[in-house]
Amino acid sequence: MKALNKYLAVASVAARSNLAYFGEAASRLLFLAVILYIFMRLWKVTYTETGAAQLGGFSLEQMLWYLAVTESIMLSAPRVALLVDEDVRTGALTLQLVRPLAYPMYRLWTTMGERVVRFAVNGLAASVVAWVLVGPIPWNPLGLLALLVSLPLAFAIDFLGNFLIGLGAFWLEDTSGLVLIYSRITMILGGMLIPLEFFPDAVRPIMQALPFASMVYGPARAFVRPDLAELTVLVVRQGLAVLAFSVLIGLVYRMALRRVFANGG
Amino acid sequence: MYKKLGSYLALVAAYFRLNLRSQLEYRGAFLSQAVAMFLNNIVWIIFWGLFFHRFPVLRGWTMNDFITLWGIVAAGFGLAHMVCGNVLILASLIAKGQLDAWMMYPRALLPHILLGRMSATACGDALFGYLVYLILVKPDVPHFLLFTALTVSVAMAFVGFGVFTGSLSFYLGNAEALSEQWRFAMVTFSTYPATLFEGAVKLLLYTLIPAAFVGYLPVEALRSFSPGDAACAVGGAFAVLAIGVLAFYHGLGRYESGNLMEMRG
Repeated sequence: MKALNKYLAVASVAARSNLAYFGEAASRLLFLAVILYIFMRLWKVTYTETGAAQLGGFSLEQMLWYLAVTESIMLSAPRVALLVDEDVRTGALTLQLVRPLAYPMYRLWTTMGERVVRFAVNGLAASVVAWVLVGPIPWNPLGLLALLVSLPLAFAIDFLGNFLIGLGAFWLEDTSGLVLIYSRITMILGGMLIPLEFFPDAVRPIMQALPFASMVYGPARAFVRPDLAELTVLVVRQGLAVLAFSVLIGLVYRMALRRVFANGG
Repeated sequence: MYKKLGSYLALVAAYFRLNLRSQLEYRGAFLSQAVAMFLNNIVWIIFWGLFFHRFPVLRGWTMNDFITLWGIVAAGFGLAHMVCGNVLILASLIAKGQLDAWMMYPRALLPHILLGRMSATACGDALFGYLVYLILVKPDVPHFLLFTALTVSVAMAFVGFGVFTGSLSFYLGNAEALSEQWRFAMVTFSTYPATLFEGAVKLLLYTLIPAAFVGYLPVEALRSFSPGDAACAVGGAFAVLAIGVLAFYHGLGRYESGNLMEMRG
């Protein structure tokens, strides 16, 4: 309990620190608004030309709200891998190791605090834009519950993936390429640009099982098309992904620490 | 007149060689940035591939037209910032009073500033643009020649637009954020056909955010091999460049030196 309080305090400081730079967060909102407007036009034309009320099981309203959630998730991601990379390269990691905080947990809770604020700002702005452009989607408390349950797990998976890449700095010259590849894979396989329903039937089940879908597509779809059985499957998948990544990070982190050399001075 | 033009083309070639050599001093970083941008653009081609797999035609545009659109915008953007990389930071140079060093040279101020830097990511954009057009669209020789000529026109429009938004720093103090957001809007809108938009937004694409001159019109010119559309695209690009140059030299009268000591190698 004491340890949890400690990490909650870390998250709270990160969240408040992020609130202090509200202007920086707000500057990303124009980007969000432009993207959503363009997607709204793209899908509106597509729905009109096909004459369909639903595509891939999504109505136009659901599609835009889906994209509002996926864009908010992606744009709220802090630069975890680059921070870990920097800690490794500059040696700042050795300072963290002597503190009464486990370094991975410290980074996890800092990221969570920061991301909650960023997501709240983005989500609010995206909701306003989506509301103005296509109006509301039918209100369902289960959708909100699904978002509240699945988002923290989605953020945790994303953190673990990024943290793992950041640890790569112990062995690689430059991890920025890996960060970019990871983020682009997340954009496509995570369903940020287009729901997985639009992928070919042969690959869809594989993509749904991958952790990328649990980070972006899963929470967004659960919000716009809530279904208790699907939410349960999503949360189980997310839990398994968190577990698998945690074990992997545990192994890699242990190997990495053997490469830390600290000199006094 | 021709002698002067030749002399400036020689200056462009000299700066290009110098900037490329300077980039290649950090070969790893240069390559990773260029490859990163290339991959980033590939993600969008995958997105459109998935989209057109489901909906083969969008307002008369096919997958090939969208590849051409991405090819021409990326190649033009890349060309612009490979040669005139400083246009990306012009707002900051003006706001920080860093034009002094450039005023000491006998060359015209604006082209000399713009030529002073090469953007590494722009190289990835340019490579991507020409390659996807050649490999995926497989044009005949006349189409490829027109494509290449139009990329120069697109590059002119991007440079002119960058100069215009950057010059706002003369009037507003620091227009760095505004310039960046405006440029972002231009790039984003340019990668969608103008036929998706209606009313005031469509008007914007030919005026405040002149994206139609770098995306829609050049692609229309290539689709129907139409001299009219090509002339409109080139005319629009010249107009954007002229407005940018006028805004810069008009604003220059308000420039205040930063009194910085600077050394240029």
